[in-house]
Amino acid sequence: MTRKMKTEDILDKCLERLFKGESIEDCLRDYPWQASELEPLLRTSFALLQRSAAIRPDPEFKARVHSQLQGMLHAKREEAEKKAVVPVWRRRWAVAMTTVSVVLLAGIGAVAASANALPDEPLYAVKLAAEQIRVSLAFSEMDGAGLHIQFAERRAAEIAEMARQGKVDKIPALTEQVADHLGKVYEVKVRQEFEERMPKIILAPGPVPSPAIEANDYTQEEETEDKLRIMVGESRARSLSLLQAALAETPEESKSSLEQAIRDVTQDYDEALVNLES
Amino acid sequence: MAIDEKEVVSRAIKGDGEAFAQLYEAYFDKIYRYLYLRLGEQAEVEDLAQEVFIKALEAIGSYRWRNLPFASWLFRIARNQMIDHLRKGGKVEKMPWDDNIAYVEGPNPALVAEQKLEIEELRDNIEKLSPAQRAVISLRFGGELSLTEVAKALGKSPGTVKALQHSGVAALKKMMLADR
Repeated sequence: MTRKMKTEDILDKCLERLFKGESIEDCLRDYPWQASELEPLLRTSFALLQRSAAIRPDPEFKARVHSQLQGMLHAKREEAEKKAVVPVWRRRWAVAMTTVSVVLLAGIGAVAASANALPDEPLYAVKLAAEQIRVSLAFSEMDGAGLHIQFAERRAAEIAEMARQGKVDKIPALTEQVADHLGKVYEVKVRQEFEERMPKIILAPGPVPSPAIEANDYTQEEETEDKLRIMVGESRARSLSLLQAALAETPEESKSSLEQAIRDVTQDYDEALVNLES
Repeated sequence: MAIDEKEVVSRAIKGDGEAFAQLYEAYFDKIYRYLYLRLGEQAEVEDLAQEVFIKALEAIGSYRWRNLPFASWLFRIARNQMIDHLRKGGKVEKMPWDDNIAYVEGPNPALVAEQKLEIEELRDNIEKLSPAQRAVISLRFGGELSLTEVAKALGKSPGTVKALQHSGVAALKKMMLADR
């Protein structure tokens, strides 16, 4: 045990011991030179532990949620069994054909005309539907992630335009959509990495993969993460620049809404970047 | 994460209901405590705790255990849900303590009342911490996460979390002394 340890390191070690049921005195005995500073911190931590432990959910509520989750699991299993009856390629083909039919029926012209539609315009629903279709037809998870980043940026541009026009009531919903799209990027990243590893985890009956193969896989995953981080980082810069530029052209009474949106969008991008780093 | 838990999580990923139930039993109270320390309103906390497990059930198929401990993943869902909830203005006005307090029961009403007051005092004090200290203290003491798990859940380095834990406990020490 070294006297050079910082108080915060010793506190953490002692906390771990308190969590495991050791007493404050046990810990103080091991750090006598730090005892005077450590003791009040440990007494506070112990009180925190005791008080937190007294917080408990209502057992009836807990049981109710448990039943609800079991019901959901059951439904999920049934759905998976149904899906398993139809081969994947047929499902994908059906989705693609339905999509093509919808696009043709809706009219390619309407889709094109909707490209610049704003949330208070009739063609905006067509614009969102077209975006969903593009995501569902994406060739790869990375393409899908790229589209979500692009659509997050579109929402930011729409926020800027709505603010310029003084139509601030739609801005909070648009901000949430920015967060949703960025959240989808993280989901794509997790799903892709998981799928890359799943065959090895579940199916591999043969020898354990060599360290060289593992190292290679790791590099690929890191590469995906890096690409996504760069894409989100660049999109962040573009979106914030659009929003900042709109500030000067926004009516005075709408500026606070735009400023709030800028804070929210910044936080959404920053959270996405933190998630992609982990 | 214990070896057993890894095995349980792997089964839950594949849709094993019994495994998910085990995770629910292991984590529900911790998630509830964490949310309670952050929000302090029973009905609000119950709604969010329920949503956390519904989200976890929907997303567990895509959980990847190699880089992110399961506890960190689950508490990250809880934290995101809470942030969304607060951002949407879902925070309700705090009710008087006797209608609102966490579920506490026992044979001695005086003791129960004292415990309720202590919990409220703790929550009020945690509310006075900086956002970063509050996040660390509520995950560490409410969620009972290890330092590494807290770091992963928050996307911070273990060193930063350790420093925040130290400054948070020191600040709470001062507040608790002042309350006496």
